[in-house]
Amino acid sequence: MTFDFSLIFSSIPKLLSGLGLTLELLILSSFIGLVLAVFTLLMRISGRWFLMAPAVAYIYIFRGTPILVQIFVIYYGLPQFEFIRTGVLWPILREPFWCCVIALSLNAGAYVSEILRGGVLGVDKGVLEAASALGISKSQRFIYITSPIAIRLSLPAYCNDTISMTKATALASTVTLLEMTGVARTIVAQTFSPYEIFISVAIIYMVMAWMLQKGFGLLEIRMSRYLKATAG
Amino acid sequence: MSEIAGWADDFFWGAMVVIRIFAVSLVLSVIIGLIGSAMKLSGSRVTQAIVNAYTVIFRGTPELLVLLLIYFGAAISLTAIVQFFDPTVKFIEIPPFWAGAFAIALIVGAYMTETFRGAFLGVDPGHVEAARALGLSQFQTFVYVRIPQMWRLALPNFGNHMLSLMKDTALISVIGVEEIVFVAEMATTVTSKPFTMYIIVALIYLCITTVITLTVMALEKYANKHLASSR
Amino acid sequence: MSKQEPDMNTNKSEQEPIVILEHVCKNFGGFKALTDVNLTVHEGKKIVVCGPSGSGKSTMIRCINRLEEHDSGRIVVAGKELTHELKDIDAVRCEVGMVFQSFNLFPHLKVLDNLTLALKLVRKMPKLEARETAMRYLERVHIPDQVDKYPSQLSGGQQQRVAIARALCMNPKIMLFDEPTSALDPEMISEVLDVMVGLAQDGMTMICVTHEMGFARSIADYIVFMDQGEIVEINPPMEFFENPKSERTKLFLKQILTH
Repeated sequence: MTFDFSLIFSSIPKLLSGLGLTLELLILSSFIGLVLAVFTLLMRISGRWFLMAPAVAYIYIFRGTPILVQIFVIYYGLPQFEFIRTGVLWPILREPFWCCVIALSLNAGAYVSEILRGGVLGVDKGVLEAASALGISKSQRFIYITSPIAIRLSLPAYCNDTISMTKATALASTVTLLEMTGVARTIVAQTFSPYEIFISVAIIYMVMAWMLQKGFGLLEIRMSRYLKATAG
Repeated sequence: MSEIAGWADDFFWGAMVVIRIFAVSLVLSVIIGLIGSAMKLSGSRVTQAIVNAYTVIFRGTPELLVLLLIYFGAAISLTAIVQFFDPTVKFIEIPPFWAGAFAIALIVGAYMTETFRGAFLGVDPGHVEAARALGLSQFQTFVYVRIPQMWRLALPNFGNHMLSLMKDTALISVIGVEEIVFVAEMATTVTSKPFTMYIIVALIYLCITTVITLTVMALEKYANKHLASSR
Repeated sequence: MSKQEPDMNTNKSEQEPIVILEHVCKNFGGFKALTDVNLTVHEGKKIVVCGPSGSGKSTMIRCINRLEEHDSGRIVVAGKELTHELKDIDAVRCEVGMVFQSFNLFPHLKVLDNLTLALKLVRKMPKLEARETAMRYLERVHIPDQVDKYPSQLSGGQQQRVAIARALCMNPKIMLFDEPTSALDPEMISEVLDVMVGLAQDGMTMICVTHEMGFARSIADYIVFMDQGEIVEINPPMEFFENPKSERTKLFLKQILTH
């Protein structure tokens, strides 16, 4: 049993083509997920039961089930229904790529809305009272006071969630998508050298996680600059 | 509904497999977490570096990839080892259940390591000093002062790790363990009712994760009761 | 009554007190925070509220700008009654400035933006004018040079002065102070009190919850003593300190003045 480096080098171009798809999945789902998260958050903190109840149910369902199962329900499950197969959304729903984007976005939406809610709850009540005392309205308070502070507070957790999302894109390989893990699995099936290929791919994922960590770290330092230079 | 009834048995046994995998990996991951955090807290640079590498690797790599690597990798390595002694052996297959349980335990163990370490460091050093000053031995201090506070601090994260662990068990259908996702796949090929089958899987997971969440909530209430009563 | 004004409204507003509390009650769960509180404050008067902790002082002044809602009774501020029907509570709050114990500056905004935010959002003031207004009030609290710093870069005394300037920017008719010096290191208390004394001398209507008895003695028109959610005694400072009527006031004064 030897470690075949030439196999790694010959596989790199194929793996990098898979990386493109991985990044597409990640960026699209993160973006849509963030939009969903903000809407869910607004519903969740609206104080109106008919908005809160659906938001809570959505978060509960998507945080309580495996992403793999969500992908399977959407990709394999939905075509069970005639109206899906004849409906206008069929061109999207028959594509494994879009099914993965939908599942990952819905998942991110549920998690990120909870992260943002943590940030909102972390904003000092006294600061908001000071704003009310100045006559600043409820919606203005949310935009100018709560949001900027809450975003900074939720940044570390959001970074972790984005790393989780990166890892979750590997699940797309289970519905025939040839993203990085999918490409790796095909190569391994042909050559049966799991160590060389899987470890190479793992390193690429780790580099991505590391870059996300560094990037968010810099962003956090930038957003916390108002806390840094504390004079005694 | 008749399609579901025909598969109820299989789903039940599949769910049992999920719970068994969950139990095995949970125990393993707690052991890994305890050892890992102890190594990380030990003064030695070498052990710290090893544990750091371990947590970085297993927290940065997709769960699916770890699972595939361990399942196929272990098979190849084991075959090579056995062939060394007995060249007639063609191929040794690793039981997918154990490969899956071990892979998940390694992943979750990396998170447990960080949680336990944080909890250990979170205990107020003043309490430890107070216990030592009262004449408690190092071991007594650990058992009576550190542990009771540690598990209260670790509980919220520990609960989240249990939920991730439970959801990670869905992956092992990929290596052919006959748990509920696998059952749903089988059922789909026969009944061609994929939505029904996968929704059942989702519901089973939702039930189990709900039970875990409620248990953790009850434990947290119990662990924090001395804090609540003082208010 | 001596002055005859043709405009009935103007005449009325001069006679009517700027803050009226009538039979105000407030409960937190089972705890009675305020019981039948009656207080009238005329324009230009300085009221100091004191009493032991948990006596309802803060709750009372927080009811005046409706940070707390009273359960029963009547509160009228600058001619507007505070009720559930009152749609535009923010309009009332513009007339009432408030300074908090813990400063509550907006941590993510520089000093200048702390002062101009409400001017821009509520008063719809143009940027330049808002800046000028802010600078004017920063000079009044003696820290115009800190305009480009973040609150975390200032000392506690400076932060509280910024908070006072922030409230003054809105040109309020009344200023409420909720223990403005309690969170400060001893050496910073006087710089905040100096600003408050200056404000009092300029004729601002003020209601201050504070334990600074020297300050109370020198500027207060009336001292309100509260205990267990009730107003026990309202008297001018001389009378309050030299000749307290109620036993509870005597006990309180003994406790705070003996050490």
